[in-house]
Amino acid sequence: MNDTIVEARNLFKHYKDLNALDNVNLNLSTNRIYGLLGRNGAGKTTLMSILTAQAFASSGEALVFGASAYENDSVLSRICFIRESQKYPDDFQPQHAFRSAALFYKDWDQQFADRLAEDFQLPLKRRIKKLSRGQLSAVGVIIGLASRAELTFFDEPYLGLDAVARQLFYDRLVEDYADHPRTIILSSHLIDEVANLLEHVVVIDRGRIIMDADAEDIRGSAVTVSGSADTVDAFLMGRKILHRETLGSLASVTVDEALNSRERAEALELGLELSPVSLQQLVVRKTMAGAGTAASGAENFTDDVMEARR
Amino acid sequence: MSRTLAVARMQLINKWTYIGWPLTILAASFLMSLAIFALIPVNEGKYGGGSQAPMWYFLVLGIQSMTLVFPFSQGLSISRRAFYLGTLGLFSLIALGMTALYLLGGAIEGATNGWGVYGYYFKIPWVTDGPWYATAAFFFVVMMFMFIIGFWFATIFKRWGTTGTLVSTLGTAVALIGLAALTTLLEWWGSVGAWFAQQSPLSISGWAALLCVVLAACSYATLRRATP
Repeated sequence: MNDTIVEARNLFKHYKDLNALDNVNLNLSTNRIYGLLGRNGAGKTTLMSILTAQAFASSGEALVFGASAYENDSVLSRICFIRESQKYPDDFQPQHAFRSAALFYKDWDQQFADRLAEDFQLPLKRRIKKLSRGQLSAVGVIIGLASRAELTFFDEPYLGLDAVARQLFYDRLVEDYADHPRTIILSSHLIDEVANLLEHVVVIDRGRIIMDADAEDIRGSAVTVSGSADTVDAFLMGRKILHRETLGSLASVTVDEALNSRERAEALELGLELSPVSLQQLVVRKTMAGAGTAASGAENFTDDVMEARR
Repeated sequence: MSRTLAVARMQLINKWTYIGWPLTILAASFLMSLAIFALIPVNEGKYGGGSQAPMWYFLVLGIQSMTLVFPFSQGLSISRRAFYLGTLGLFSLIALGMTALYLLGGAIEGATNGWGVYGYYFKIPWVTDGPWYATAAFFFVVMMFMFIIGFWFATIFKRWGTTGTLVSTLGTAVALIGLAALTTLLEWWGSVGAWFAQQSPLSISGWAALLCVVLAACSYATLRRATP
């Protein structure tokens, strides 16, 4: 595609005893909202840091706007990446941080920043180091939104924000994106919360991209079939099974495949129940299938599956 | 270029950091020195070292610009080069302003016979004895040196962590001790002393400026690969 904005080729990042990035290849296009999903420590922040030249890859190439961002003002001036653990100058208050951002982003919208600060109830004249975790996140979110940079990264922007503030962020993001389209990369592990915002999903696990697909395509790509264990197993014979759960003689099985209408009809005839798989469930299943630890940690999601069956 | 300038402007958004606090420290140490001078009932020149107080704050500023301002600049996607040039430019500007203030203070001090109490805050024996430009050069270079040494140590810390800082500090100490030992062994202290005796504030400033340039260049080389 011509409108590629980010291109990663064979990116590796080695730490002493860990491959933070393990052969990452990625193409992101302009004016879309991407979700960069994965567990804590999966490599999300590392990947974003390398793309923005805040950190360095061990090998491989990262191109943004067709060039490396490293020491490249014409590329850097179009990027905004406030990290989750962003540091600020010692004496700075939020208002100082915003005025700084205004110096560097040509599309900076001060009114928008002020409105957001009000929304988030952010004290503009308190030293940043005295802010709560949620208020600190709000500073980063406001810089990210009001900078209107062509390529904006949000690194787990919701940390410490309450439910209302998180919803506000999602709403403002969608509104502003509609008026000022740009490329947004939202790194998150709260998948269900952001699922509706995302147009494209990239899932990273232990430094590897394990899913890279349009949100639309993903939504129908898996299904959970439940009913009597024998019938379910017979029906799903030979299919790609992501997860299997049993309760007595009942089974609930998630397959990584879509069913066509004939198969759906057949399933209903057999008395099986079909339920969609949420993005979060799918990511969790795929991540665990990849790790080969399907047994551990599955409890959290048993409830979801049982819910679906009822 | 405009981004370099913006880096300097960014750090002046909060006027306290680079202007308010140095002036406050200067004023406070000046007034305290004056009070002490007034309390000493001697009618001949009294010299204090209070005028060095702001210099120590510059050391802190040098450290913080690397540990806090640099990560922030990275968040705003500012290149390392723009950050470095803008910050060093700001350092020089502030050092220049402070030097002017010290010269002015020294002039008033001289004209009023030590503020009427024979107290000399800006005047330092030997350092300020020469022509005004030698005094100016000395103050300016010392201030720059404090900034840069703080900045340099912090770049080492950012790049190589505690271990790196420890190694470079101990390494510097060991090298200095080794040099002293070598001087003792070769019985060179006499010539070293003679060399120092020959130096004027201006030539000392020259040597220190050279050291500043070397440290600044090292800082940049380290910063090029530093991460926030």
